[in-house]
Amino acid sequence: MSHTPFIVAAYLIGAVVLFWAAMAPVLSKRSFLRQLKNRQTRMEKSQ
Amino acid sequence: MNPIYLFFHKTGSPPWFYKYSGKLVPFLWAIFLVLAAYGLYLGLVVAPADYQQGESVRIMYLHVPSAWMSMMIYGLMAIMGFIALVWRIRIMEVLVISSAPVGAAFTAIALITGSLWGRPTWGTYWVWDARLTSELVLLFLYFGVILLYNAFDEPRKAARAASLMSIVGAINLPIIYFSVEWWNTLHQGSSMGSDGPGIHPSMLLPLLLMATATKFYYGANLLTRARLTLLKQDHRKRWVQDLLTEESH
Repeated sequence: MSHTPFIVAAYLIGAVVLFWAAMAPVLSKRSFLRQLKNRQTRMEKSQ
Repeated sequence: MNPIYLFFHKTGSPPWFYKYSGKLVPFLWAIFLVLAAYGLYLGLVVAPADYQQGESVRIMYLHVPSAWMSMMIYGLMAIMGFIALVWRIRIMEVLVISSAPVGAAFTAIALITGSLWGRPTWGTYWVWDARLTSELVLLFLYFGVILLYNAFDEPRKAARAASLMSIVGAINLPIIYFSVEWWNTLHQGSSMGSDGPGIHPSMLLPLLLMATATKFYYGANLLTRARLTLLKQDHRKRWVQDLLTEESH
C-alpha cells in the first residue's frame, strides 16, 4: 500500500484547517470595522 | 504601587493590550513560518522513513505537535479561566475564549491526521480506543466552551461561564495523557517518555521544530482573536472610537 496519498491528505487538511483558523479573525475584524465605520458615517449624516 | 500589580494592571488594560499585542503579532507569524518551513523540509525531505511505519511516519511531524497543542491550549485555558474567575482579570476571560477555536483546530488536526496515519499502519481509520476517544471528548469540550460563550448575550457573563467550563473540562487532560498507560490501547506510548525521547535525532529535530512552530502559531492566532474580541466588546468605548478616528485619518 502506498503511503503517499495519506501523507498528502494529512498535510493538505492540516494546512487548510490552520489557514482557515488564521484567516477567520482577520476577515471577521475587517467586516466588523466596516460595519462600525458605516454606522459612524450614517450617524454623522443624520446629525 | 507594587511593580507586579502595576504590570498586571497595565497589561490587563484593553487599550494597552490592543496596541502592544498588535506590534507582536507579525513577528510571531514570521517566526512560525520560518520554523514550520524548516521543520517541514526536515520532516518531509531529510528525515528517513521508519523501519516499521515506513513513509507514513512523516504524518507524525504534524500529528504529534497538534496533539500536544490540543492539550496544552486546554490546560492554559483552565489556568487562565481560574485566574479570570478568582481575580476578575478581564483580559484573561478574553484569552480563554480566544484560545478555544485555536485549540479546537489543533484537536481536529490531531484526530484527522491520526486517522490518516492509522489506516496504513493499523489497517483502520478509527477505533474506540481510550486515547482516541478521550481526544474526541476534548474536541467536544472545545465546542462546548465556544457554544456556551455564544449562548449568552452579556459577554462578561458568557466569558465567566466559558472559563468555568474550561476548568471543569481540564479533568480530561490527565485522562488523555495517561490513557495509554491506564488502559490496554492500540495507540502507541509517549514519544517523549520520562527516560528521554525514544526516537532518533534525525526524526526528533523536525518534531521539535514543528512543536515550537505551533506554539508561535498559537501565540499569533490567540493575540489576533483576542484583539478582535476586545474590539467587539468595547466598540462603544472611547478608546475604540479614538482608534477608529485615528485609522480613518
